[in-house]
Amino acid sequence: MSAASNPWNRLSLGGKILLPLIALITFVAVGGAVLWITGVGPWATDWLIVTGQANIEILRFIAAATGILLFTVPAAFVIIFMELKIIAMMNLRLGPNRTGPWGTLASTMAGLKVLSKEDFTPRGVDVPVFTLAPAVAFLASVLTLLVIPFAPGMVGYEMELGLLYFFAVGGLGVVGLMMAGWASYNKYSLLGGMRAAAAVISYELPLILGVIGVVLLAGTLDLGQIIENQSGGILAWYAWQQPLALIIFFIAATAEAGRTPFDYTEADSELVAGFATEYSGMRFGFFFFAEYVNVFILSALTVTLFLGGPYGLFDIDPLLGALGITTPVDTAAIDPGSLGSWLLAIPLLVPAGLTLALTALVWMVKSSWGFIKSLVVGFVLANLLLMGALSIWALFSFEALMGIIWFLGKSFTLVALFVLMRATYPRVRIDQMMNFAWKWLMPAALLNIFVTAAAIIIIKEYLS
Amino acid sequence: MLRQLDDRLSEHLVVPAEVMDDTIELITWPASLPALMRTVREDGDLRFELLADMCGVDTGVTMQVVYHLWSPLSSDWLRVIADGLSRDDPRVPSVTFLWPGAEWAEREAYDMFGIEFEGNRDLRRIYMPPDYLGFPLRKDFAMPDDASRGPGEGIRHMETPFAPGDVRRDPVIRTSPGAGARIGPDGERLVIAASGSVDKDALDSGVIVEGALDSGRGPA
Amino acid sequence: MTTDRERIPSLDDPDVLVQTPATIYDAIPPLTPRTEREAEFYQLEDGEMFLNLGPQHPSTHGVLRVVLKIDGEKVVDLDPVLGYLHRGVEKICEYGDWHHAISNCDPLEYVASMFSEALPVLTAEKLLGLAVPRRADYIRVLAWELNRVASHALFIGWLALDLGGITPILYGFAERDEIMEMLAALTGQKLLFNYLRIGGVNGDLNHDFMSRLGDWMSRAGKQVDSQATLLNENEIFVNRTKGLGVLDQATALRFGMSGPPLRATGAPYDVRRAHPYSVYPELEFDVPTRTDGDSYGRYLLHIEEIKQSLRIIDQVLHQMPDGPVMAKLPRLIRVPPGRAFAALESPRGQYASYAISDGSDQPFRFRIHDPSYFNLQAIGDLTRGHLLADIIAILASLDPVMGGIDK
Repeated sequence: MSAASNPWNRLSLGGKILLPLIALITFVAVGGAVLWITGVGPWATDWLIVTGQANIEILRFIAAATGILLFTVPAAFVIIFMELKIIAMMNLRLGPNRTGPWGTLASTMAGLKVLSKEDFTPRGVDVPVFTLAPAVAFLASVLTLLVIPFAPGMVGYEMELGLLYFFAVGGLGVVGLMMAGWASYNKYSLLGGMRAAAAVISYELPLILGVIGVVLLAGTLDLGQIIENQSGGILAWYAWQQPLALIIFFIAATAEAGRTPFDYTEADSELVAGFATEYSGMRFGFFFFAEYVNVFILSALTVTLFLGGPYGLFDIDPLLGALGITTPVDTAAIDPGSLGSWLLAIPLLVPAGLTLALTALVWMVKSSWGFIKSLVVGFVLANLLLMGALSIWALFSFEALMGIIWFLGKSFTLVALFVLMRATYPRVRIDQMMNFAWKWLMPAALLNIFVTAAAIIIIKEYLS
Repeated sequence: MLRQLDDRLSEHLVVPAEVMDDTIELITWPASLPALMRTVREDGDLRFELLADMCGVDTGVTMQVVYHLWSPLSSDWLRVIADGLSRDDPRVPSVTFLWPGAEWAEREAYDMFGIEFEGNRDLRRIYMPPDYLGFPLRKDFAMPDDASRGPGEGIRHMETPFAPGDVRRDPVIRTSPGAGARIGPDGERLVIAASGSVDKDALDSGVIVEGALDSGRGPA
Repeated sequence: MTTDRERIPSLDDPDVLVQTPATIYDAIPPLTPRTEREAEFYQLEDGEMFLNLGPQHPSTHGVLRVVLKIDGEKVVDLDPVLGYLHRGVEKICEYGDWHHAISNCDPLEYVASMFSEALPVLTAEKLLGLAVPRRADYIRVLAWELNRVASHALFIGWLALDLGGITPILYGFAERDEIMEMLAALTGQKLLFNYLRIGGVNGDLNHDFMSRLGDWMSRAGKQVDSQATLLNENEIFVNRTKGLGVLDQATALRFGMSGPPLRATGAPYDVRRAHPYSVYPELEFDVPTRTDGDSYGRYLLHIEEIKQSLRIIDQVLHQMPDGPVMAKLPRLIRVPPGRAFAALESPRGQYASYAISDGSDQPFRFRIHDPSYFNLQAIGDLTRGHLLADIIAILASLDPVMGGIDK
């Protein structure tokens, strides 16, 4: 029997991987259905829940973290596209207009391109540190999203000390940059990393001190509670009570995210690409993603703290009540914890399984496409389906859906502001920006704290 | 202006100052250069403050260093030529004590002509690599070109233009060894071998090759 | 089946390991220093390191390489290394005839090549004692001033880009592109025009050029105004450039500087007025100067000069005479023996050439004086003790073009 006549040998590499996987998934699905029908499945689930009660929290965490990770990638793509397009408009250019409708897929394709590029490790670098640095930078920024409430009750992981967690984990990002700068065996990287360390640490202080005013007013570090306090329409936003803090926070956030005019870490006209000079392929992609995710996260936190979070401009509950529509906050319907051990399926099986299943489908229907192309299409379809499913899930609660829309709308408006700033301003010199942090922002933030505290005491003790 | 220059500088000048078009020309000895330059720069009636240009010149007989100066008081350029530098060991005092900006120009003149400027603090090559030998703008500098990479080196395109008419009239082709190698792809000597009557060994040895040239392409 | 190919050594191959210094603090091993200054420069003190800015770097305007000796971010000393774009134009010019020299000089100032290609033309005309037809002279001035606007618009963008602002350069390019398209319609080429000829210009004004020019004149300098709106009172831009790289007039003169860096110190040296050529004496325009001599002053001066150039263009269009655009000359020009020095005011300063002719059709010696070369020289004195970011800003404000510097 010759090799060519063997059907298995005629398959491409993709097929050799895909076919067993399809078989495996089919086997698991059929087997699971059989188990469920025969009653073994529910018993096993109950057993898992009963014996593994304590682990539900961990499962929930894993599911939320996976969801957040999955969310950040399209979010970064959207922000990159926004940046390309807005700056192009400002620059009298057209910007991306070829890939996808109105060029919307340009950033996605750029992301895929980054994936396919050579992952290069220069000679002389400190290999483990060099390799880990992008992951540290990326995870530090992504994990902060876990505590941001996207809608009332729709939060990755509810924490009493959400704000503290945010700053603690977010502060780790600079470690990643320093690792990259130090390990890259390149003087430009070293300077970039050192700049990042010096400046980020300087700007963390006004960033956190600026928030303290809000914390004093809210009396809590729980972000869910903070947005709840601002639920009464636009006038209830903390931005009106803490305008100075908002300005300080936004400026410090710009520096924290390393965006123009504080893009000292990359400073492409001085340090080539700063800490990322020696990175290529997806390792560079991680830094790149981290930067844009950071932009989104800091916008999201600004929205959460100062701009009403997921609540709209107006409190429409009375209006809806008059119309006879009630909007119960059905947190149980959207709480992933209610899924029990099936949470496991979300991070482990659903994305991969759905992608592969759709890939197989596409591959079979359109055999002229290669495996890779089918995989890409399958991945996109799977993502769309997942997003659709999430939206439908959110529809269980009208308020949650509106919350997501408001929240993302406000956040992306702030992101657009970041982008506009990038198109407008030159870069601040490092000593000027340190001066600004220590001589202006810090005293202003401290002043803000004292004034807020005094006002709270006066209002509480003497006026009421 | 001409008279003032002659009055003040007469002892430094080889020949009296002369006006050429819109330029006053002074020719001086290298040794008098610093004194002359100081006078034209700092004299209140002359004030040639701006060093408009500074370059070396190889006339084939001697070396020169030529300075062009500009003064707000004069409508003419002032050209100062330090003439008569020996070609074997050209030396001239530096003017960087008056114009620090002459430093790079002097480095360039050193780089291109090998002129030593005494008093320049940083006289090293500026364009050519530091380990380069030879001074490219000298007239005796053999200009290497593409032809020098092959065995028939030193042939310049401009000096031996290819004239197709000559070739057709005279089938005798004079070729340098391996000259055909630059035309054929992959190092095959295709050009003349196309006629089928060419001895490749003879081609290599560079003797006169007899044979018809059909292609109309001559030796490179 | 496949022949055994010779193994090509690759850097990925562990056998051809490149020996690298043990730590990144190791100095670049220098050659044996030739001068005391070089020896002193390559001597590192405690805490200092070398940083190679270029030849491949986003903001060294081409292939300039500056070896920086830095202490943290503070630049202790620096040593520009030239020659990465050295073509030996002066030597090439000696080996071609005078017409070749025009196209050989074209790429020197690749941002505004109408100026560098004028060098052999003006010099040969001076040697020949040739009077150019007046219309040709006016066309030349028109082309020069258009090119000056294009170059200055780009300068402003470059300065902003090197300071981290990404938008002004696109405005500069928008302005420049319109002019370049216009000149392409006139000359046939968009970057290296090769338009001027000994005795005139290559062709008369054509309809395409004139319609583009008329179109542009209605909104000339609009993009430059946009740039100015973005930068003039931009707090960050002003803070980055004001008081940075301050030159005083005496120093600038001693460094042989010319063009905007010199005029920003207050010296009104503009070859168009200081030593008039072509039809500039007939035209009304001012030589703007400033007294602050810093990067911000140089930037504002460029904007002023654009306005003056637009003024000149306006006058030229109104005064343009009729007539031939090319003197009647033989194709092979044998230039009489002699020496001539010709200078013109390029966007970067005084472009000059000194030619010696031996009576043949080739120049015996053709010296090119590039203003950027002399302007760049001041960078050492300007930047010592500043921060790394300031080096870039000062470098950009001196506006070097490496094509001319490296010749």
